[in-house]
Amino acid sequence: MSGNSVPVQLGRVSWIRTALVLMRLSWARTVSPVLLLSMLALVLLPMLFSLVFASRGALSGDPVAFLMQRYDTLVCALATPVIALLLGTSAFSAEAEDGTLLYLVTTTTPRWWIVLVRVLFAALGTALLSAVAVWGAGIIATGLHDPQGVTRAFTAASAFGGAAYGALFTALALLTRRALVAGLVYVLFWEGILSTTFPAIHYLSVRQWMLAVAGALTDANEKAITRGPSVRASLIGATVLVVWAIVAGARSLRQPRISRIGT
Amino acid sequence: MSEPVSTPANERNARDTVTDGGRAAESVALVFDHVSHWYGDVVAVNDISCTVSAGITGLLGPNGAGKSTLLQLAAGLLTPTNGSVRVYGESPTVGPAVYRRVALVPEREALPAVMSARAFVSARAELLGVRDVPFAVERALALVELDTVADRRVGGFSKGMRQRVKLAAALVHEPSLVLLDEPFNGLDPRQRLHMMRLLEDRAAAGTAVLLSSHILEEIEGVASRILVMLAGRLAASGDYRTLRRLMTDQPHTVRIRSSDDRLLASALMQVPTVIGVEVGAAGLMVRATDYASFAREVAPVAQRSSLTLYEVEATDESLEHVFAYLVAR
Repeated sequence: MSGNSVPVQLGRVSWIRTALVLMRLSWARTVSPVLLLSMLALVLLPMLFSLVFASRGALSGDPVAFLMQRYDTLVCALATPVIALLLGTSAFSAEAEDGTLLYLVTTTTPRWWIVLVRVLFAALGTALLSAVAVWGAGIIATGLHDPQGVTRAFTAASAFGGAAYGALFTALALLTRRALVAGLVYVLFWEGILSTTFPAIHYLSVRQWMLAVAGALTDANEKAITRGPSVRASLIGATVLVVWAIVAGARSLRQPRISRIGT
Repeated sequence: MSEPVSTPANERNARDTVTDGGRAAESVALVFDHVSHWYGDVVAVNDISCTVSAGITGLLGPNGAGKSTLLQLAAGLLTPTNGSVRVYGESPTVGPAVYRRVALVPEREALPAVMSARAFVSARAELLGVRDVPFAVERALALVELDTVADRRVGGFSKGMRQRVKLAAALVHEPSLVLLDEPFNGLDPRQRLHMMRLLEDRAAAGTAVLLSSHILEEIEGVASRILVMLAGRLAASGDYRTLRRLMTDQPHTVRIRSSDDRLLASALMQVPTVIGVEVGAAGLMVRATDYASFAREVAPVAQRSSLTLYEVEATDESLEHVFAYLVAR
């Protein structure tokens, strides 16, 4: 450049340094007061139910059955997918909308790595917040002794679900213009209604995969965790989903959907 | 000096020369070969063939002419529906390695509002594999005169400052082909002049710069060569004086100051290409149908009449005239 004749040297991109940069960019484009409040509400909801349960003492019934039900309906069916939806779609959707996605894709960093780091960002954030919801609700309802390992099982299941949902919604953000709406429809209808109504859909439901993983890690024998697909099928399903999301997302980034970069 | 006017035929010859020779290929940064691009049923770029070499090339056209689409095609962000694009001999859509040598500065000014200018430019440098990131970032920020405010969030920056952040992010790895979409938007005159000088410096160092604009003075002031796009087509290419001379079916106005304007006026009326003369306070205004022929004849005519020519100036050679004519054509 003018004024200095020493040329800039280019080398291979560093996986770790680019991952940190991509995480920081994800954070910068994701975090907003509205989003933080939404995620806080989702984390607090299972805890509120546990508070009501704990306040009734012995009248509340079996704590394991209570936790299993709440973890299924409030964590696996609501908190985990919606947090993953918010974390998975926010950055790419905002960048595609305002055109700043260009600054990511016009670099030498492989596109699959960009997508993978975004999936990791969504998965880690979802796992962390889901774990807070699971442990908060568990401790309030049953104390620290975690009967039949239910809380530990659902912590692992929500981390597993965070990865699957994170991958799905990250890809959705790159493939559709209305990722948030499409994701909400998916969570509410597919996961909320259809997957619990039609047994054939169990194999295509991240919620049911999460319940299968939780069921394998706990001694409890509730109906919710015994009716779904096997752990093996769930792991295969999630792996296929994550790989598809990275491949489809990377292909999409080769020629990204950007609202308008100029006239 | 005016460069030869490019027509589809000689653009093709130039391209062939380029692709045949290894060293020549390096000198030509960008080649469009019968490139068309459709958005559904709408054609945005229609059968464009041209080349871009080291130096500054202006891409001129009204809004909707297809300039941004052409820049995206050059950056590999779009695939041509027909034809091919080559950046240093290779397709820009093959992989991200092309971005070692290519940078695109989009028209839109959006940047991650919560990040500082330094953090944003650093992020780009990391993603581009720059080895000494702090050094490259500091230099890029100093180049656009943002080094003193580099740690402030870009959300609080003016439009002009954001333009400069975008430019720093594009230049941080010193690309050899820089594509700029309306780069002067939002810049005040001093900033505009600074950016022009900066681009001229880059061009002098061997960088190929392709910049689009719909404001004629911007390009006229900085570009050594101009591509004019209208409705997706390449209407003309060359330097603006040459383009002006393409318009042989439109009269040209030339202002002349001489030792006796009235005598010269009567002498020039005998020249076949002159269709009108007018003597005024500003000098002798001559309207000619063919600028080149007139330019060849005016000096001999003055000599035969024993007149001295003080000044001969084409008054309508600004890009405004070129552009207005091409739009109306």
